[in-house]
Amino acid sequence: MRTWKDRMRHSTRGLGFVALVLIVAAIFGALEPRFLSYVSLNGIARHMAANGLAALGLTFVVIVRKFDLSIAGVAAFCAMSMGALIAAGWPLWSVILAGLALGAVIGGISGIAISRFGLPDIVTTIAVGSIGTGLAFIYTGGRSIFQNFFTSGITDLNDAKLMGLGVSMWLLVAIYALAWFVLSRTRTGLAFYATGENPMAAHFSGIATRRFVALAYVLCAMCTVLAVLLILAESGTAETNKGANLMMPAYAGVFLGAAIMGGTSVIASFGGILLITMLLDGFALMGLPYYYSDGVVSLILLIGVLAFSDGARGTLEALRFLFWPQKPTKPTAKGSDA
Amino acid sequence: MGAPVLIASDVCKRFGPVQALRNVDFRLEPGEVHALLGINGAGKSTFIKILSGALQKDSGAIRIGGEDVHFRAPEDAIRAGIATVQQHPELVPDMSGLDNIFLGRETASRSLMGRIDREALEARADALLARFAVPIDLSQEVGQMSAVEREAVAILQAIAVDGIRVLILDEPTSTLTDVEREDLFALMNQLRAQGIAIIYITHQLEEVFAIADSFSVFRGGACVARMSVDEARSSGVSLADLMLGEAVGDIFPKKADPDARGDVFLEVRDLSLTHGFENVSFTAHRGEILGLFGLVGSGCDELAKSIFGVDPPDQGEIRIHGKPVSLRKPREALDAGIFLVPGDRRTEGLALSRHSLFNVPMANLRRAAGGRWGLKSRQLRSDIQRLTDQVALHPPHLNTPASGFSGGNQQKIVLAKGLYSEADIYIFVEPTVGVDIGARAKIYGLMRDLSERAAVIVVSSDCDEVHGVADRTIALHKGRHVEPESGVFSRDDLLMAGIMGKGSL
Repeated sequence: MRTWKDRMRHSTRGLGFVALVLIVAAIFGALEPRFLSYVSLNGIARHMAANGLAALGLTFVVIVRKFDLSIAGVAAFCAMSMGALIAAGWPLWSVILAGLALGAVIGGISGIAISRFGLPDIVTTIAVGSIGTGLAFIYTGGRSIFQNFFTSGITDLNDAKLMGLGVSMWLLVAIYALAWFVLSRTRTGLAFYATGENPMAAHFSGIATRRFVALAYVLCAMCTVLAVLLILAESGTAETNKGANLMMPAYAGVFLGAAIMGGTSVIASFGGILLITMLLDGFALMGLPYYYSDGVVSLILLIGVLAFSDGARGTLEALRFLFWPQKPTKPTAKGSDA
Repeated sequence: MGAPVLIASDVCKRFGPVQALRNVDFRLEPGEVHALLGINGAGKSTFIKILSGALQKDSGAIRIGGEDVHFRAPEDAIRAGIATVQQHPELVPDMSGLDNIFLGRETASRSLMGRIDREALEARADALLARFAVPIDLSQEVGQMSAVEREAVAILQAIAVDGIRVLILDEPTSTLTDVEREDLFALMNQLRAQGIAIIYITHQLEEVFAIADSFSVFRGGACVARMSVDEARSSGVSLADLMLGEAVGDIFPKKADPDARGDVFLEVRDLSLTHGFENVSFTAHRGEILGLFGLVGSGCDELAKSIFGVDPPDQGEIRIHGKPVSLRKPREALDAGIFLVPGDRRTEGLALSRHSLFNVPMANLRRAAGGRWGLKSRQLRSDIQRLTDQVALHPPHLNTPASGFSGGNQQKIVLAKGLYSEADIYIFVEPTVGVDIGARAKIYGLMRDLSERAAVIVVSSDCDEVHGVADRTIALHKGRHVEPESGVFSRDDLLMAGIMGKGSL
């Protein structure tokens, strides 16, 4: 049985997270009242949708204890490919399906190279990402694509609302809910986690570990495609640098969430990306130039992960010891049978 | 005996609510081999860690050569003359034995650019080997060495520091064969002759009489007995009783009734694997435990993994319930009803950072999901609760990561995992390495229970274990199976069969 204590510890972390979000919101709200305006919050929701989808894909890869550094390249190539298809007059639904298929193929190439042929994950995904960045230029030589964007209906993805909330946010919530169910309530989820925790033991338990590693890369690339789709919808053009700013927030969201929640999970990534997006938008609103944003996100990531690491807890414990050497403990009557 | 080299008095250590050490008094004479005994969790490891500076005592005193010492880090202990060899020594496999011995202290200078003087290093190594004649080629890479050679390198590394007076060996024999063990004992005897005192942790009680001069028994965080081996021998006291605090009978369960032997569940015919084993044949029945004894390198481990589909055999036939099968990977073996309790539970059996709820259902996720996709959480939890109760997991916490349990209890989690997978052929490889005597008895008992409905095969390099627990035994020697001439192996015949490859003496 899950003990009362475990439940407490778990919900304490969750509550801590909510408190952190509220504190960040309150600080930004106090410094810049526009932060809490409808327009600003709506913007946060939209940015969070794109960042969050990229972070969700990455969550699968991080759970199998790998890295995917091809996110930016995959995003650029798929953005231009979808842009070219829209310009060619394809209906929106077929453009989205084609984009997802393209993403699945690219993710599959990385995934199979890494799981089946044992290539190092970091080098492989940097290479695949760079190839993607290069291929993004084959359609127009680097010029942006905007033909047919308004008539295709893609911008509706950005503007349309359902019960007061943007469609993109619904998409995010729906896909996170699905991923949450798969990862924490199905045997597929257990297999993903087992593959990451100890691939050897998982293999000995009859789990097709290679397949799950490859699948993680496929899902990561497909989620990246959905993220860049929302970016296209927001900007109304396809450019080769679209998605260049997806990767760092995704990593920050996944790792900060994991640090705070005590492990990589869909819920941790959701919270992490919410926090990261708020910080990014808040700083932007206060006039921080966009070219600092990756740096700021990275700094927050480092501070966050350090603050929640076990090492840091030791440091805090040492500080407490300096000021308060003896922890007040109740004298135990039956110390002899400890 | 002269003045004790090390005296610990009233040492206490507490971890949160757990009193790990309680007023421990300890004494070590120069040139004495002193065994430290106790079941897992008795406090031996904590005490050793305090002596080696890895942990700090809460109260009490430690004196070395009459001087009070206080260790804040392992370096302090080494400077005071206490060297420690961990249970799994950390050596660099790609470097030679020589380089490993002097790693980090190649030169006297502290400069990063200090030039390494090969000749001086070799001279130092020669001086070391002149003191302790070890038949070992130190120019060999550590990765190529046998387990006992690696242990010797680790010991030489530990004592290469000047002024070492006490050497702590944490379960050095757990990975060694009987032959290798003799080599290690020879080295220990040389150290003893040089006046170095050795604290020696082991679970193998017969080793105490073979090598130690005296021993201390830890139980429940206290040192409950200290006596010389001669005293113990003359008084006939049972070490196992001292460790457990109560009289234990035989740790092995009763043998099966030969008439109760059921159908052949697994039959192996002329199985071969290159660099593994050749033409191995045997049958395993429901209702009995089949023992397979073989030293490290005999092909036992390879055979078990081969049957389980990890490294499928090159030739031969495997029949399950009479039907020939081809098992190309563990998934297929599991589907065919085979479960392997692997020899290395930490790397092959468990996700260490995860709790039992995660580990136990891993080999049968289909059952965990009730045949569908979504998990049946409540059912899963109650099933796992029942299984962890059945294997007597201690402490009985389902949410504690596997790494938080002792070796014996980690093995029980693997066992629960095996029970959950509902196989009908169970292969146990080295089931009790690093497992204390209390948990061993429990695990043997569980095997016996299991054999009532399944075929159980025990593969081990511990002859007493195989002979003690199995109803029928065969030995594996250099990849070939050796069967008894008279139908049954005696304990000594089995040992000879495994070491020499002979059917009988």
